[in-house]
Amino acid sequence: MVADVDFWLTQFLNGLQLSMLLFLLSIGLTIIFGLMHFVNLAHGALYMVGAYAGVSAAAALGNFWAALLIAPIAVMLVGIFLYAAIIRHMRRAGPMNQVLVTFGLIFVIVDLVRIVWGDIALGMAQPAILSGPAEFLGVVYPAYRLFIIAVGLIVMAALSLVLSRTQIGAMVRAGVENDAMAACLGINVERLFFAVFCVGCALAGLAGAIAAPVFSATPSMATDILIPTLIVVVIGGLGSLRGAIAGSLIVGFIQTFGAVVMPEFASVLVYVLLAAVLIVKPAGLLPARS
Amino acid sequence: MLEVRELLAGYGETQVIHGVDLAVREGQFHAILGRNGVGKTTTLKTIVGLLPAFGGEVVLQGNSIARRQPYDIARLGIGYVPETRDIFGSLSVTENLQLAARLAARRDRKWTIERVFEFFPNLANRRENGGNQLSGGEQQMLAIGRALVMNPTLLILDEPTEGLAPIVVRQIFDKLTELKREGMTMLLVEQNFHFATRLADTVSIFGRGQCVWTGTSEALRADAELHEKWLGV
Ligand SMILES: Nc1ncnc2c1ncn2[C@@H]1O[C@H](COP(=O)(O)OP(=O)(O)OP(=O)(O)O)[C@@H](O)[C@H]1O
Ligand SMILES: [Mg+2]
Repeated sequence: MVADVDFWLTQFLNGLQLSMLLFLLSIGLTIIFGLMHFVNLAHGALYMVGAYAGVSAAAALGNFWAALLIAPIAVMLVGIFLYAAIIRHMRRAGPMNQVLVTFGLIFVIVDLVRIVWGDIALGMAQPAILSGPAEFLGVVYPAYRLFIIAVGLIVMAALSLVLSRTQIGAMVRAGVENDAMAACLGINVERLFFAVFCVGCALAGLAGAIAAPVFSATPSMATDILIPTLIVVVIGGLGSLRGAIAGSLIVGFIQTFGAVVMPEFASVLVYVLLAAVLIVKPAGLLPARS
Repeated sequence: MLEVRELLAGYGETQVIHGVDLAVREGQFHAILGRNGVGKTTTLKTIVGLLPAFGGEVVLQGNSIARRQPYDIARLGIGYVPETRDIFGSLSVTENLQLAARLAARRDRKWTIERVFEFFPNLANRRENGGNQLSGGEQQMLAIGRALVMNPTLLILDEPTEGLAPIVVRQIFDKLTELKREGMTMLLVEQNFHFATRLADTVSIFGRGQCVWTGTSEALRADAELHEKWLGV
């Protein structure tokens, strides 16, 4: 019985860890979408680039923490390049063109990664201080995975604070709600979009880098994470932080517990949920615009 | 202050404005009247940069603004109160005002958030309420207050009385009268003939995408035929 409780608590932590990774990815995607109605399917590819950047930085510098700092910056620079070269010119091109172009971008980025880093999975060492097991509510659980959860919670809290309490947060909320009116108050919405886009890219990079020691860096990361992330964004509701939090937790837990409780249905479970949400609340659970 | 010359504008391929001329002088209250769908809102949206001008010129205090972005035009001094009010529902009343007040830093700060709360006491009681919790009248007051804290050189209002109870219309009327007395330059679009002609120094009548008549409020009130032809239902 005690073992049972431990088992479920472990699953709970697994679900939480997946939820946090999904959150780090979906928050950037959803706000970028909410603010500028821009669909960026290459967001998952940026997650993959973050993992490889982390692996290389850690190998070169021999320091995990430096890698954790460098990977988001590197991914943000990739994002800035994409913005200047492609996204900026596609802002008014319509969703169909944006989907096609950013879908194509996934393959370009994945192939570039294959050329630079090769096709095999690359591991990344955990920092010594986090490499052992830790105890959480009586269960033994890898310390590093608790660290992933902590990073996710910290980013969540920081973003909530910035969005709800600061002027720039109010500007983002206003821009998501009504970009035309925000512009009429003197807000340069395009520049705001660019800033949010950079933060979104950095968070995708951070997610990739903290995931690398657990899952290794592989080219398939780019697409594996994309579908659950998009489902989070759709379930949660476009443009909303609370939606991204709720969506990440729901999808993270359904995937984790689904795999344990009904393994044969696990892969379709999220889609069933997606369909159910879309039928009951087509705009998602907590959309930014009501 | 504001000069619009031979303006052509519309939506996508559809041209709706076929050569509008308009001149608002400093310190003046200028009203635009006209039946539904003649292009009053479209003209205003083009002036503030939300719609592209297909042709013609818009000049604000010597600066050509016809091809500028809305945020740029706002910074040059146009405060805009749209027909749909467009209060940010997810922001509190105070936050709505704070966003607009960012701009004022570079101008003389005649209008502060506190002064807006004195001007519209109803809003002061609702400071922390969300924009989506306000009544129609309160939303209109907030929309006007939000434009005021920008400390605009020109205040543009699109049908501020639309859908409001007579008592609220009266309040808005008194407030606009106060602003006029202070010397605020205003461009008002209205359907309410008496509301507009009592406030305005100059009135322009729009018909089918053009300005068909401009003159004083007195001249318009004296001319029943004009009223019949362009404004009567
Ligand atoms: N978004 C739009 N797309 C296409 N045509 C539009 C759009 N909005 C308005 N129109 C058309 O442009 C014309 C002028 O509309 P506009 O809103 O400027 O009129 P208005 O004078 O403000 O009318 P009202 O008094 O009803 O507010 C109308 O024929 C209308 O059908
Ligand atoms: Mg109108």
